[in-house]
Amino acid sequence: MNKEQKEQYLRDYGTLKSQGKPFFPYAVAKDSAMAIVVMAVIIAMSIVLGAELGPKADPTSTTYTPRPEWYFFFLFELLRVIKPPALVPLATIGVPTICLILLFLLPFYDRGPERRPERRPIATTAGIFVVCAIGYLTYLGAAAGPPTQIDIPVPANVSSQGPEAVANFEAGSQVVAQSGCAACHKFGENGNSGPGPSLTKIGARLPAQAIQRTLLNPSAPMPSFSALSEESPTQFAQMVGFLAALK
Amino acid sequence: MAKIKLPATPSNPLSSPKRPGKKYGPSGVMGHAGEAGVTAVDWIDERTSLSGGLRWAMFRKVPKGTNWFYTLGSATMFAFLSQAVTGVFLAMYYDPSATRAYESIQYINNDVFLGEFVHGMHRWGSSVMVILIFLHMGRTFFFGAYKYPRELNWVIGVALLVMTMTMSFSGYLLPFDQRSYWATIVGVNINGTGPLVGPYLSEFLRAGPYFGATTLSRFYAIHMLMVPGAIAALMGFHLYLVAKLGTTAPPWIKAKPPEELREEKVTVDP
Amino acid sequence: MADRKEPKSKYTVDRKTPGAFEGETVTRRRAMVVAGQAAGGVAAAAFVLPALGFAMGPIFEKQYQPWQPVGKVDEFNDESYVPRTITLVEGIGDAGKSTVYIRKYNPQLDTEPRDEYNDYIAISTLCMHLGCPVRFTAAAQRFICPCHGGVYDIVGKVTGGPPVRPLDRFYTRLEKGSVLVGPRFSVNSELRRFSPRDPGEPLDGVGQYLYPSRPSMRKIPGT
Repeated sequence: MNKEQKEQYLRDYGTLKSQGKPFFPYAVAKDSAMAIVVMAVIIAMSIVLGAELGPKADPTSTTYTPRPEWYFFFLFELLRVIKPPALVPLATIGVPTICLILLFLLPFYDRGPERRPERRPIATTAGIFVVCAIGYLTYLGAAAGPPTQIDIPVPANVSSQGPEAVANFEAGSQVVAQSGCAACHKFGENGNSGPGPSLTKIGARLPAQAIQRTLLNPSAPMPSFSALSEESPTQFAQMVGFLAALK
Repeated sequence: MAKIKLPATPSNPLSSPKRPGKKYGPSGVMGHAGEAGVTAVDWIDERTSLSGGLRWAMFRKVPKGTNWFYTLGSATMFAFLSQAVTGVFLAMYYDPSATRAYESIQYINNDVFLGEFVHGMHRWGSSVMVILIFLHMGRTFFFGAYKYPRELNWVIGVALLVMTMTMSFSGYLLPFDQRSYWATIVGVNINGTGPLVGPYLSEFLRAGPYFGATTLSRFYAIHMLMVPGAIAALMGFHLYLVAKLGTTAPPWIKAKPPEELREEKVTVDP
Repeated sequence: MADRKEPKSKYTVDRKTPGAFEGETVTRRRAMVVAGQAAGGVAAAAFVLPALGFAMGPIFEKQYQPWQPVGKVDEFNDESYVPRTITLVEGIGDAGKSTVYIRKYNPQLDTEPRDEYNDYIAISTLCMHLGCPVRFTAAAQRFICPCHGGVYDIVGKVTGGPPVRPLDRFYTRLEKGSVLVGPRFSVNSELRRFSPRDPGEPLDGVGQYLYPSRPSMRKIPGT
């Protein structure tokens, strides 16, 4: 904004202000009504949702899956999607700091006189993009389960084979989940995308024998499950059966 | 030497001079009792001159077209006040020690009268405040309200946003359940990934290389003394600037000069 | 620049300051301003500096790390890990404890040279990405972190996800048939020992200089 535009703005604003209403009681009435709504929401949430306390902090736990409060989910997800170890400081410190600096300095690089959102296409698009990105990351963060949990519904071709097949499928799902496969592979909504390939539809790509061969003689860095096949062949068979049924 | 005539002693020592527009001033004990509020305010105003500032803040004009979006800022402030009050009362029962914190929150939830209710208000109030502050910021952004002459107020607002997030982060260690503990470990380690100063910063936050005996009380001091004080101060400055610069009008409202000043209506004397 | 003024003399007499003394370079007004600001600064520093030092003291305090017994020699094997709970910080009950995974040195797996401190390998359960609790999954022979997708192999080296270095370890030694676990240390990707760092701080390349070791915790000298 140059000097002329600044003066123009101040003049227009002065006119609008002189035609307005006094803050008290008009704006105060609105603000107070809003305050009542806010308090009603807080009280209702407190009554309905309560103040649930989780189990006591236990630093010796190796089974707990830490998750942040919902409004930090987007930062949490940012840490999950930025995978290469060399970029960790970027995900933890770099990106948030840069975003914050951009936010702080907004009025200093966006100096145009226009204020209407539809006439500021870049700013409005950027704003909507940021809102959508944060919303999407929040959704992903909220949906991220622990790597020891797989909830894939029983496929139709398995459930049509009777209850025994369904039980086998579910047992196999358990074995796969507890073996930590989801730490490197994606299973539908669960698991991490990488370093291993997605296994959501592995049964369609590989026959059961090939899956079994890969589990016994994998290429690095995947571990071999030959120990499992020797110690409990049924669990190993359930694992193979589950993976082969993922189509 | 001319004698000055003294005014006659009023017949009733409790009668005061009459107010403008009234025939008689307040008289009698009841009359003065009725004026007690005015008298007290006058007494304070005579010694502080606060009424000028108050009049300036309350009777300033708000531009026309102001709508419900403009209540989000005051709603955020209200949520903060609610957090401050419920927080002060929670502090009466809370014990910031690693061995007692969880039990004291359990005591608040299970045994204190209205304990879970106040705790719940504080817990969910934080979510409400975070939502409101984001909505308020979104309104400011999309309405272009951060532009001249309100740049400084935007910067203060972003600082308030950062502090609010700091409050939520430092607050959720305090119940000392599993989520609190691990979220704090992760959060502190995030600070530690900054090169050179990071390791010292995380050690400062934890008061040592591990989560120790004074970590909780450190977070407690940050959560209830340091950051809220700074928030209150900045909020005061934020409000002062709002009152001084005026709230913005919605950007699509055009300024029309008043009717009597329109060019065709102004007659110039020959 | 033609009408640039002559540089001012440093003597107040030459500058025609009213009431100037011979040889005076600082006016009395200026001396008062500086004195006032200095006095205020000293007064503020008098409470700010001690308070800051008070808050930052723990950074420079050496943490006492005792050797603690975790079990008899025959409780551990060289193929899989046995979890044990140790105390990192005393006096705060369970909040000061942590879990370590312990295994006997296995020449087929472990590549680092043997010395008096690694007859048994004790691995910390804090993920080296950001400190979440990792769990050893025997079927996959992997340490798996539930937070951001970190995966480590059986010796603690990173095989996937964002962790920046292998899992931290603890010194161990033998005493009368018992295994003792001592101070923590960090390792780089070649399993060389470094003074303990926090999670998220890489030790390869320039990492060890960007994330310096701190006075509160050092490795045992010469290891």
